[in-house]
Amino acid sequence: MTDKHVLKNGMVILGEPMESVQSVAFGFMLPAGASRLPDGCCGAANIIEDWIFRGAAELDNRTLNDTLDSLGLNRSSSVNTSHLGIGGALVADNLAAALELYAKITIQPRLDDEQFEPAKQLALDHLAGLDDEPRHKVMLKLKENFYPQPLGRSTAGEPDQLKALNAEKTRRLTKQYFNLSQTIFVVAGRYDFDAICKQMEELFDTGPQEKLKEIELSGKGTKYTHIHNDGAQVHIGLCTPTVRPGDDEYYNARIAVSVLSGGMSSRLFTEVREKRGLCYAIGANYHGLKEAAGIICYAGTVPQSAQQTLDVIIEEFEKLKDGISDEEIVRAKVGLESALIMSSESSTSRAAHIASDYFLLGRVRSLDEIKEKIEQTGTESVLKFLRQKTFDDYTVVTIGPKKVTVK
Amino acid sequence: MEFKKHILDNGLAVVGEVNSFAKSAAIGFFVKTGSRDEIKQISGVSHFLEHMLFKGTDKLGPLEVNEAFDRLGAHYNAFTSEENTVFYAAVLPEHLADAAQLWTHLMRPALRDDDFNMEKNVIKEEIAMYEDTPSYDVIDKARSLYFDSHPCGNTVLGTRQSIDALTAKQMHDYFTARYSPNNMTVALAGNFDWDKTLRLIAEHCGLWRQQTVTRQTKDYPGSLKSERLQKASLKREHICIISPAVPMQDKRRFAASILAAVIGDNVGSRYFWALVDKALAETATMQCESMDRTGAFFSYIRCGSESSQKVLDAVKAIFDDLDTNGITASELSAAKNKILSALVLKNEIPMGRLVSLGFNWVYLNEYRSTEQDIDDVKAVGIDDVNSLIKHFRPGRFTQFILGPGSDTSIQS
Repeated sequence: MTDKHVLKNGMVILGEPMESVQSVAFGFMLPAGASRLPDGCCGAANIIEDWIFRGAAELDNRTLNDTLDSLGLNRSSSVNTSHLGIGGALVADNLAAALELYAKITIQPRLDDEQFEPAKQLALDHLAGLDDEPRHKVMLKLKENFYPQPLGRSTAGEPDQLKALNAEKTRRLTKQYFNLSQTIFVVAGRYDFDAICKQMEELFDTGPQEKLKEIELSGKGTKYTHIHNDGAQVHIGLCTPTVRPGDDEYYNARIAVSVLSGGMSSRLFTEVREKRGLCYAIGANYHGLKEAAGIICYAGTVPQSAQQTLDVIIEEFEKLKDGISDEEIVRAKVGLESALIMSSESSTSRAAHIASDYFLLGRVRSLDEIKEKIEQTGTESVLKFLRQKTFDDYTVVTIGPKKVTVK
Repeated sequence: MEFKKHILDNGLAVVGEVNSFAKSAAIGFFVKTGSRDEIKQISGVSHFLEHMLFKGTDKLGPLEVNEAFDRLGAHYNAFTSEENTVFYAAVLPEHLADAAQLWTHLMRPALRDDDFNMEKNVIKEEIAMYEDTPSYDVIDKARSLYFDSHPCGNTVLGTRQSIDALTAKQMHDYFTARYSPNNMTVALAGNFDWDKTLRLIAEHCGLWRQQTVTRQTKDYPGSLKSERLQKASLKREHICIISPAVPMQDKRRFAASILAAVIGDNVGSRYFWALVDKALAETATMQCESMDRTGAFFSYIRCGSESSQKVLDAVKAIFDDLDTNGITASELSAAKNKILSALVLKNEIPMGRLVSLGFNWVYLNEYRSTEQDIDDVKAVGIDDVNSLIKHFRPGRFTQFILGPGSDTSIQS
C-alpha cells in the first residue's frame, strides 16, 4: 500500500514502507527534464544537475558536499525526458538530516557565478565522452529521431546549445523549472511517514507556484541515420511505436516484448545470437513516456554481419504476429512477475517504481494489481494486439564503420 | 539469518545463509578458475567455457537450457574474472530447487563441437564490443602492464587469435582439471529450504571426481611501467593507474577499501575535489581489488587531451600529500559511512548476499555475516589507513593511457 500526502505547496509525497530493510531510498523528481526546458537550451538540465550541488543556503560547495558525505549517502542524480531527479539511499536513521540538505539544494541553491563554468565544462565533457561510448550514444540518437520533438531531445545536451548558455540564463531556468508544486517526492524502505510529512511541510513551506506550460509536440527525425566511426563494431539501434503506459493494451505489449526479448529463450536472443552467432549484445525493451512509447532494440556486431543482424531483427519483429506458442506466453508472464517481485526487495527500485507510476499514470499500481493484469493476458489477447498494431514503422540509427540498408 | 555449511566427500563445499523473510532466493556455483589459471596457448578458455556451460548437457540442448531457466522466471547469468567463474540464478523461493537442479546438471556440460564453433563468433563479438568500450579496454591493458608476466595480467576474454586457435580438446582438458568439486563452492542465500536443497546437491554432485588443483599465488608488486596507446578514433583520454594493495586474505582489506574511497569515491574524495570539481576530468575513481594472495588499487580517469598533464600532476600532488600527511579524521568518517550504507544496501537482497557469502568461502573458508563486515569497517582507525599508505605507497604506480593524443612526454 502506498502512502500519499500532498504538501500545501502542491508537492506530492509518496512512500512505500518495507519492513525487512534497514535502508531508505528517496528522490525528488523536479519538472526540469530535457523536454520541459525551452527550445535552444538543450543540456541546461545537465549543468543544473551539477551546479545545485556546488553550495546551498549558508553551506558553501565544500561544506555541503562534506555534510552529504558524512551521512553516508549513496547519491544519485539524473536527467531524463521529463524530470531532473536527485536523491539517494542511506541508512534509515540519517534520512531527516538528508532531507534538510535536499530542501536547501532545491529551494536555495547558491548557483554562484564562479561555480557555473566548471559545471558547464563537465556537462560538455560528458557529452564529448559519448563519442567514446557508441552503445550509449546510439540510443540517445535513436530516441531523438524516434520521438516527436521535444520528447526526443538528448538527455545529455547539444554541444552548441550548451556552449551558448551562461550563468544568468541557467539560473533563471533553475528558478522557473524547479517548480515545487509539480515536484514528486518519493521514499521507500524504512521510514516514519507522519514524521516525514511533518518535516517536509516545514522544509517546503514555499507556497504554490504557477503551473508550467505543457509541452507541444512537433516533427520527428529521420527514419535512418548513420554516424561513421572507425570502431570494431556497428552499433545498431532500432525503435518502433507501441502503446503508452496507461493504454488498455499495455500489458499485452509488455508480454509481446518479453516474447521477443525477455529471457535467453526469447526470439531475438535465440535467432540472432544462439542460432547465428551474430552478436554478443542483443536485446529489446519497452520504453514508455507519458506522451508516446516505443520498443527499443540494440545490437552490436562486426561490420560484415551488420546487415544480416538488422534483417533478422526486423524479421523477428514482423513474424511475432504470425503465431506465439502458449509456452512462450507462460515464460513471458513468469519472467515479468518474477522480475517485479525481485525488484520490490530493493528500496531503490521501489522508489523508482512509485515515482514513475505516479508521473505516468497519476497513481501507483500495487504489485498485486500488476500481477493480476499480467495474469489476464493470454496467447489470444497478445496476438490480437499484435495484429491490430502491426510492426511496420522503424526508426534506425547505426554508429560504426559501415552503413546498413533499411528496407 | 542462519548460516549452514556442508562439505561433500568429494570436497564440494555447500554454504547457505537462510533468511525466511526474503521474497527471493539465489544460488551460485563459484568455480575457482579464471584467466590467471590459463597458459598462453589457451588464453580466454575460462571465459569461453563459461559460455559453453549454457549450451547444455548430453540430455539438454542449448535452447532447452534457456527455456528451462526462463520457465522459472530466473534472473540468471555468469561472469568470469582473472580468478573466478561464477554461475548464478535468483528466483522466487518456490523455484529455487528447480534452479539448483538445473545448475547441477549444467556443471557437467556436453561441450559439443557445433556449439563450440558457433560460440566462437559470439566470443569474438564480445571482444569487439569491449574494444569499442575504452573505459574497459584501458583497465584491461593497464592490468596486463602492471602484472607484466605474472598470470594475473592474463586477459579474461583472450584475443581473436587465441579464440580461433582454441580446440575443443583443450577446453575439455581444462574443464576436467579445473571444474573439480574440491575447486568449487555452491552458495545459497535468501528464502530456501536448506535440507532439501543440500540433499539435491549431494545427489547430483556427490559423484563428481576430485582432481588435484593448483594455482600460482605469488604476490606481485607491479611493473611500474608507463605506456600510451594512441587511438585516433577516440575523443577522450582514458587513464588507468594501478598500485599494489592487500589480498583478500589480509584483514587490512577493510582499511584498504576505506583508503580507496578517500582517494577515489565518485563524490567528495581527493580525486573529486582535485579533478572533477574543477572540471579537469569528468570521471575519476579508485577501487581496491583484493585478489587471491595479491591485490591492487585501480584508478580510472577520463579527461580531455589538453588536460592529461594537469590531471597527472594533480594526481601526483594528491599522493605526495597523502604520503606526508595521511588522511584526515573527517575523511575517514565520511568514507566509512558511505561504505557502510553501500554494504547495507547490497546485503538487503539475496543476490547481494550470495556474492559475499560465496567469495568469503572461496577466499577465506569462512562465513561472515553482514554485521561482522559492518563491525570490521567501523573498527578501522586512522592509523590503520595511514600505515597502509606508508606500506604500499600508492603514488608509485603503473600507468596506461588510451586516447587520441600521441604526446608520450606526459609523465606522472
